[in-house]
Amino acid sequence: MKNKTFRKVEPYIWILPSIILMAVFILVPIIFVFRMSLSDVSKAGIIRGFAGFANFTKVINSSAFKLVLKNTIVWTVAVVVLSTVLGFILALILNNEFRGRKIARAIMVFPWATTLVIQASAWKFIIDTDYGTLNTLLLRLGIIEQSVNWTPTAEAYFMWEIACGIFVTIPFVTFCVLSGLQSIDGTYYEAATVDGASYWQQLFQITMPLVRSSLTVSTVLNIIYVFNSFPIIWTITKGDPANHTDTLVTYLYKLAFYNGKQGQAAAVSVIGFTILLICASVYMVYTLRKGDE
Amino acid sequence: MKKFAALFLTLVMMCGLVACGGGDTASDGKEESKDDGGSDGKIELNVIAAQYGQNTNSWWEGFVKDFTAEHSDIDLNVEVVSWNDIYTVVNTRISNNDAPDILNIDVFANYQADGLLLPAEDFVSKETYDKMYPAFLEQSNVDGTIWAIPDLASARALYYNADILKDAGVEVPTTWDELTEACKAIKAHDSKIYPWGIDMTTDEGQAAFAYYTWNNGGGFVDEDGNWTLNSDKNVEAIEYAINLVNEGYTNSDPANDTRYDLQDMFGAGQVAMMIGPNSIPTYIADGGYSVNYAVAPIPTNGGVDSVSAGVMDRFMCFDNEYSDAEMEAIKTFFDFFYEDARYSEWVLMEGFLPATSTGGEILAKEDESMASWVDIVGSCNFYPTAKTEWDDVKQGVINVEQQALLGGNVKELLDELQAEIAE
Repeated sequence: MKNKTFRKVEPYIWILPSIILMAVFILVPIIFVFRMSLSDVSKAGIIRGFAGFANFTKVINSSAFKLVLKNTIVWTVAVVVLSTVLGFILALILNNEFRGRKIARAIMVFPWATTLVIQASAWKFIIDTDYGTLNTLLLRLGIIEQSVNWTPTAEAYFMWEIACGIFVTIPFVTFCVLSGLQSIDGTYYEAATVDGASYWQQLFQITMPLVRSSLTVSTVLNIIYVFNSFPIIWTITKGDPANHTDTLVTYLYKLAFYNGKQGQAAAVSVIGFTILLICASVYMVYTLRKGDE
Repeated sequence: MKKFAALFLTLVMMCGLVACGGGDTASDGKEESKDDGGSDGKIELNVIAAQYGQNTNSWWEGFVKDFTAEHSDIDLNVEVVSWNDIYTVVNTRISNNDAPDILNIDVFANYQADGLLLPAEDFVSKETYDKMYPAFLEQSNVDGTIWAIPDLASARALYYNADILKDAGVEVPTTWDELTEACKAIKAHDSKIYPWGIDMTTDEGQAAFAYYTWNNGGGFVDEDGNWTLNSDKNVEAIEYAINLVNEGYTNSDPANDTRYDLQDMFGAGQVAMMIGPNSIPTYIADGGYSVNYAVAPIPTNGGVDSVSAGVMDRFMCFDNEYSDAEMEAIKTFFDFFYEDARYSEWVLMEGFLPATSTGGEILAKEDESMASWVDIVGSCNFYPTAKTEWDDVKQGVINVEQQALLGGNVKELLDELQAEIAE
């Protein structure tokens, strides 16, 4: 009897450390942020009292917020969708047998393994008008005669940031999908070939359904990572000019540590958290339910 | 059984949370242990200092070593933090009731407004206090009390590439009209050179606002200290600066090219003129550049005298309810820091300017070029950092500049900002 009780409790004991860690390092800060978003916080960071939804209304009524929210949506959708499509294609290619496949897979890891700040700095260095390597290369090759300004507008800057975001996100998608692809039994394809299925039919009828769970995991994680990504935008433009390349995360950082409005920054954080929670849950419920069907 | 397990887990989680909250209580209790003088009888002194450059860390290490050798009863801890992180670190410490004893940073008004600071005369001995330039002390005056003391200063002036100006056949500009003409001539001489460097970034765009408005008779505040952001002089000044960009006389991306980018381009001979701090010679020498440059006053408009922009950093002392012994230890720290020889070393370490008259005399005697800078810093204007709205104004004017770069109307933007700040 005693043994049986212990066996039932045992798993909980094993997961206890991680639960405590999560509670201390995730739950407590979340509670603090929620509390701060509803408080009147002084510029030095001292909570003076309850402020209701004042921080939220101030943030939502500010002229920059709409622009920043739009940027965040464009940034997240563009990076997640494009990196998923490209990562998926790359995974299909890398799943084939060819010479140098191992090297190709190893190279794939590089963008992922490098720190984002370094990646973003490298991109900034490449596209710079005055000392950028892209201009230098094109000038040396004689393709252009004068340095080209690759970032003439705020939108152009944002496009480059999205490109950088896609570049660093692709490896993660590729590896998630690749692991899914490798678990597919080859006999499915053999049977399909015998039945006369085309490449596209095999892709959509066999491959896609069987890697769906891997894709779901990578997409949900990517939505969260990309939405919350700070280093790329901060390193390349700091959200300049005039919030035109800011996302919610860089915007709230500026609010908190440049403007000293920590209450409003916490409110932006809560808004971001809520949006993410809804998007990720809807996506997960939708795809997993579809999978069950 | 499941219920039992769940209850058990919840209890443990609660314990975790309580333990976590206990951190605050422990830090609250810090004062108690401090009053006892610490476990080994030493007085603990915690300092957070800004990292000015590559030499700051080693300078402070040497300082702590010398200080503890002389004052073995004081346990001095100096944490050097980069400018990028220092506001985050300090604000986090304050919100966790763990403010440092002494802080070296640029701004003080927000801490003072929250009643966290001690008046300067409480934590500095009279002898040391009297060494400071009175004009510098005034920058930390709120309602007649001085809340912080200056640790160093820097001043800005016009740097120009003498070779480029000579080749283009132009004199050093002293007025805006001359500046525009000079830019035109340099552009005609070599279209690859940027005649004028301008920085309107989140890093230091407020400096650009100061250079142009002050030298047009405008500025952030009027004589009574009221915000005058949308004055006609200011509108004219910012429109002039934006026009320089639109005419193609400046670096291509003022919203993203920081002062350091400009300094690099100036060193490489790609920018002909720029306004920069007195530390540029050190920067250019360290960067291995060999450019033939000279310094001149910032060009002005409408017959206004040229005004240099001064930047001043400070020491302040947080009110952690000190005992008399602890207060004495803090005074000892400042006496030690501002000893003339040691203080001159501190200022020279990263090529800054002194904030004490005795330091100024020593440095002016040693180095002639320093003497002219010491004169400049004595007469320059400072940002109105003693006002609590400063953070909003600083970010606000940067935003106005960047909006204007995107085609916004300067007058409307400044009107909006003024209305927002006056709220």
